[in-house]
Amino acid sequence: MSTTEETATIPRATGAPTDAETTAVLAPVPAAATPEGRWRPGRAGWLARGAVWLAVAWLVLALPANQLSPITIGPADVDIASRAVIFAIGGLSLHVLLGWCGQISLGHQAFVGLGAFTSAYLVTDLGMSFWFAIAVAAGFGAVQATLLGMVSLRLTGLYFALVTLAYGAFAENTLFGITSLTGGEGGKPAARPPGFESPENYYYLCLAFLALVIWLDWRLTRTKGGRAMAALRENPRVASAYGINVRAYTLMAFAVSGIFAGIAGSLTAHHDEIIVKSSFDFRLALTFVLMTVVGGLRSRVGVVIGSAFFAILEEGAFVAMVEGLIGGLGFTPTFFESVIGLPAEFVGLVVGPILLLLTLTLYPGGIGQQIAPITRWLGGRRFDRHAGAVREVEVDDVRA
Amino acid sequence: MSVLEVDKVSIRFGGVQALREVDLRVGEWEIVGIIGPNGAGKTTLFNCITGFYEPTSGAVRFRGRDITAMPVHRRTALGLGRTFQNVGLVKNTTVAANLATAQHLQTEYDAWTGFLGSPATFAEERRISERGALILDLMDLSDVADERVADLPYGVLKRVEIAAVLATDPDLLLLDEPGSGMGPEEAHALGDTLLRLRKEFGLTIVMIDHHVPLVTRVSDYVYCLNFGEVLAAGRPDDVRRHPEVVRAYLGEPDQPAEPAEPVIPGGTAGPLSTQEGAPA
Repeated sequence: MSTTEETATIPRATGAPTDAETTAVLAPVPAAATPEGRWRPGRAGWLARGAVWLAVAWLVLALPANQLSPITIGPADVDIASRAVIFAIGGLSLHVLLGWCGQISLGHQAFVGLGAFTSAYLVTDLGMSFWFAIAVAAGFGAVQATLLGMVSLRLTGLYFALVTLAYGAFAENTLFGITSLTGGEGGKPAARPPGFESPENYYYLCLAFLALVIWLDWRLTRTKGGRAMAALRENPRVASAYGINVRAYTLMAFAVSGIFAGIAGSLTAHHDEIIVKSSFDFRLALTFVLMTVVGGLRSRVGVVIGSAFFAILEEGAFVAMVEGLIGGLGFTPTFFESVIGLPAEFVGLVVGPILLLLTLTLYPGGIGQQIAPITRWLGGRRFDRHAGAVREVEVDDVRA
Repeated sequence: MSVLEVDKVSIRFGGVQALREVDLRVGEWEIVGIIGPNGAGKTTLFNCITGFYEPTSGAVRFRGRDITAMPVHRRTALGLGRTFQNVGLVKNTTVAANLATAQHLQTEYDAWTGFLGSPATFAEERRISERGALILDLMDLSDVADERVADLPYGVLKRVEIAAVLATDPDLLLLDEPGSGMGPEEAHALGDTLLRLRKEFGLTIVMIDHHVPLVTRVSDYVYCLNFGEVLAAGRPDDVRRHPEVVRAYLGEPDQPAEPAEPVIPGGTAGPLSTQEGAPA
C-alpha cells in the first residue's frame, strides 16, 4: 500500500484536478440506463430457462442414481460424483479465505485432513454417530483454523502464505502420524452412516451437505460478516474506518473456512471408508488452490464447477472420458500415454497448471466469469454475451 | 468540554518530523478548518486523530477520553467518522452496498447469526438497506445507488464518501479534502451541505481543504499548518490575512507591498481568489 499521500511530508504527486478535469468529472452522472431488475423474461423465456434448470437438476440429481437415466452408471462413477461434491465443499471452504477475504491458505490439506481423522476417530474408536462426528469435525475445523489465523496473521503477504504452508506440512508429518489417533500407515477405517452405505445414497448425503454449505456461504455474503470481509479484502483502512475490526473478521473467515473444511474432511473419510494420511499431502492443498482460482474467485457456481472438474481430473475419470471419446473416433485408446507420451496419472498435474495460467492471463474471473452470461440468463435476466466482461476479479486481488 | 482535544502531538517517521507539538481544540457544533501547503502534515494529523498512526508523543482526547492508542474501529464506534483524501470507499461494489457496509456497527445482529441464516437477519438487512437509501436521498445520491463505485466520477464519489461516513452515525466528522475535484459551484453547494449536516444532525466537523473560500465560509475556526507545526490559528479571516500564512503559501515576498486582498494558491490548482464563487 502506498503511503505517499498519507505521509504529508511528501508533496502530493497527483494534485488537484485542472479546470478541464473538474468540469469533466462533474458532468451529470449517467442515470442507470436500463434498470436491470425491472426486466422480466416473457413466457417463452421462462420456459427455456425452466428447461435448462430441469436439465441441470436431472444431471445432478437423477443421473448418478440411474433413475430416469438412459445411461447406466456404475457404482465407481457414482463414487467419483460424490468425490466431486465433496471437493466442491472443500473449494468453497478455501474460497471463503481466498475469494471473500483475500487471504491465501496453502495448508488446506491439514484443514480437511483434521476433519477426516476427527470424524473417523469418533465413529470408529468411540462409537459415536456419524452426525455427531461431522458436527465435531466442523467445530474442530473452526478451532484449528482460528488458531492458525491468530498465529499467522502476525505476518502478511508471502510470509503469511509460508506459515500456512508450514502448518500444512506440520499436520501432514506430525499430527497425522499419531498412530493411536490416525491408524498410522495402515489408515483408519470410517464406516458410512447407516442408511447411506450405497454409493447413490452417500452421493445424496454429500449433495445435502453441499446444499447446506452453499446456503451458509450465501448468507455469509449477504450479511454483516461477508460485507466486512469484502471491505477489508479491498481496503483494510476503509474497513476499519467503517468500524470493522479487521483482525476479528479475518479470523471469522478462517473459522468459517475451517467449518466447511471440517465437513468436507468428514465426508471424505466416510467416502473412502478407510483413510490414510497420504491422502492429505501438499498436492491436495495445491489442487484446492488451483480449483478455486480456476473455478473463479467470487463466483460460487464457478468454484463448485471448478472443484468438481478437478475431482474428476484427480480420479482419472477425466482421462478415461477423453480417451473413451477419442477412442470412439478411431484413435488409440491410450491417447495420453502413447501419443503425447504422458502417463495417465500425470495428466492432472499438467492440465491443472495449464488451466491456472490460462485463467490468470485470459479470464481472471475463472469459470465463473466465462459462464456469467449463462448464469445471469438463468437468473431471469436478459442474455448478455458480455456479462462478466468487467474485470471484477483482478489477478493481484489476493494478498500474498 | 471540547469534543476533540489534540494535546502536543508529535510524530516522527525516521528522520522526518511530520508533526511537532500540534495543539488543536474543537468545540461542540464547531466547524474547524485545517489549511496549509502540501506536505504540511494535515493528513498525518488526521491519521493521528483517527488512529491510523500513533503519535510519538502527545495525546488525543475525544470528549475528555484519552484515545491516543485506541484502534481505529473502536474510535468509529465512539463516533469519530472520517473520509479519505483518496476516496475511501469499497470500489468494487455498488454505492448502496457501501452504505450497508458502513452501517456495520448499526447492524443489530451478530455476524455469526447472519452466517447461520437466522430469520431475524433478513428483517434487519431490510432495515439497513432502507436506512442506507434514506441517507443517500439526503445527500441527493439516490440515482447512483446501484452504480458500481469504480464507475463513478470523482466529484460524486466525494459526496458518496460523506454519505457513507454519515451511515456510521458519527458525532465528529473528519473530512479530508471533501472539496477536491469540485468546481466553485459544487464547492459552494458542499459548504451548504456541511452547514446543513451540522444543523440537522448536531455534528461537529473538522475539515482539511485547499479550497480556501470554502474553508473560510463554513469554518468557525481555522488552523494553518506548515512543516508539521501550527503556524496560525484563529477566525478564518484573521488566519487568511496572517502574514506568516501568506508567506507559507507564497514564499518570501520580493516587494514589501502587501496586497489588501491576499491571494492564496490552493493545492497545485493555481491561485485561488478569496472571493467566493470566483473561478478556481
